[in-house]
Amino acid sequence: MTGDLARKSGRELALLALCLVVLLALPSLITGSYGRHLLIVSLVYAVVAACWDVSLGFAGLFNFAHLAFFGIGVYVSAILSKLIGLDPWLSILLAGLFATAAAAIVSLPVIRLRGIYVVLVTFAFGQLVQQIVLSQAGITGGSQGMVMVPALHLGSYNFARDQKLAYCYAAIALLAVSVLLLRWLMASPLGVAMRAVRDDESYAAARGISAARTHLLAIVASAPLTGIAGGFFGAYSRVASTEVFGFGTLSLVLSMVLLGGTGTLYGPILAAFLITFTSEALVGLGLWRFLIISAGMILVLVALPGGVASIPQLFRRKTY
Amino acid sequence: MNGSEISSVLVSGLLLGSIYALMGSGLSLVWTTLGIFNFAHGAFMMLGAYVAWTIGSGEAWGLGPTLGATAAAAALAGLGCLFEVLVLRPFYRRKNLAMLTVITTLSGMIFLENSALIAWGPRIKQLSPLIPGTVHLLGVAIAAQEMLILIVSPVLILLVWLWLSYSQTGRAIRAVAQNQDSAQLLGMNVSALYMTAFALSAVLASIAGILLGSIRFVSPTMGDEPLTKALVVAIFGGLGSVLGTVGGAYAIGLLEAVSNYFVGLYWTPALLFVVMIATLMVRPSGLFGRS
Repeated sequence: MTGDLARKSGRELALLALCLVVLLALPSLITGSYGRHLLIVSLVYAVVAACWDVSLGFAGLFNFAHLAFFGIGVYVSAILSKLIGLDPWLSILLAGLFATAAAAIVSLPVIRLRGIYVVLVTFAFGQLVQQIVLSQAGITGGSQGMVMVPALHLGSYNFARDQKLAYCYAAIALLAVSVLLLRWLMASPLGVAMRAVRDDESYAAARGISAARTHLLAIVASAPLTGIAGGFFGAYSRVASTEVFGFGTLSLVLSMVLLGGTGTLYGPILAAFLITFTSEALVGLGLWRFLIISAGMILVLVALPGGVASIPQLFRRKTY
Repeated sequence: MNGSEISSVLVSGLLLGSIYALMGSGLSLVWTTLGIFNFAHGAFMMLGAYVAWTIGSGEAWGLGPTLGATAAAAALAGLGCLFEVLVLRPFYRRKNLAMLTVITTLSGMIFLENSALIAWGPRIKQLSPLIPGTVHLLGVAIAAQEMLILIVSPVLILLVWLWLSYSQTGRAIRAVAQNQDSAQLLGMNVSALYMTAFALSAVLASIAGILLGSIRFVSPTMGDEPLTKALVVAIFGGLGSVLGTVGGAYAIGLLEAVSNYFVGLYWTPALLFVVMIATLMVRPSGLFGRS
């Protein structure tokens, strides 16, 4: 039994190493600035979507405040590095800390609620953060947003040089670290408790697992990497805009998690690449792009209840 | 704060409350019957306003505001039926229905908003009021159209409530909401009743859109802000009953007006949120909800 698990885990690690090699090779294959931009955006979204899946998929909490954690990361690091003059690297780390604090705040009402009320409260939290950002125009730039956010440097090397090469590798590193941490989290007692509470709350309670504590920790655990991804995205794009709190970004990342398959670690990551590149391929269609994507999202949810990650299972069921 | 200021805060609170009540009652009707929170409700509102503009406005077909409003209500009833069949019906038997329909109704909202942007362009429009001129209420001069909102909204909600309570179809809808299986066993056509309830909520949204489009502007995203407020209202009052939602709507409307006066526009949304959280801490299914 344990030998079987170890072999399975060994195969997974080997596959992960292969994926990492492919990812590391990608910046040398995609040499244009635009292609690399898409790669970086996909990587950032992959981190955000994978973290969201911790609360949404693994803990089964309808948490819609996740993009607010990302937005808080963008704005906190932009404010710290531009207005206070902190080092951008430190600002990004602090962005993760602030996002985690925000997650702790939002989880307090959430652990008392069930079902649709969780959706409504977390959704309203995102709207609240947006309202506050809009109203504090003196600091955040209001609806204009912030521009000229300090870029990342190592020594005197600007990461944007050589067609954003260093940003590519930094984003790959961020995703790799995230995957390792999330894998560790899911294998830890907390990760097991999350799935237990999701699948059968009363049975989990009978085994001494507190649903409230598990839900709180799940939301808090999903935030730090999301905030760091936000800070990184702000330093990369050099812009902080309230667009990150809007319905458009929310449904884009949500579609990554749902199409990728909730409760799977790699599904949302795969879907982040798929959706970012598909969405960019359709950019020439103008507004029709949004019609195609939104209609496509509904179609996929009708046809593939388990997301893209369930396609192998579909085939397996047919052969057996 | 003198008398005239009190009455102007009161009037603006009642006006906000009336609009939120109209939005919230439609959301609550769909929630109690279908078990779905419809994020496209704001987009229905926006489409209602656009159809009324196209049929009624002198800049388009010019058939007058009354015909425009009628056409909008009819069009949204049809759209509601279509939306229910295409976006909601495939998911009724799935176990995570509430979750899946959050994303499908959000997608529906993005589809409808961008369709409106393609069909009518980005330039904002304004609906001419059904009744022009100004009237006085509690010593405050308000547009006659605003007075109309203050009257139409509660009357409409009362009509919906009476219909749900006493008509054959309305009672059937409530029966389906309470227990779908036994309603079906008693020979009720569940899918037809679902469609009716959803179409009715779309019609309510279209009326809210027409009323709002004549005191504010008509734009593809005009429904986003009222939808967000309706979320707060729905949480505050509880989604479980239409009347609870209406109570929540007027409470939030008045609170918002008072807070706009004392705290200012900037921090009012934060205050509303704090009030909402505090309510949930004490009563997890809303102020008027039954747990």
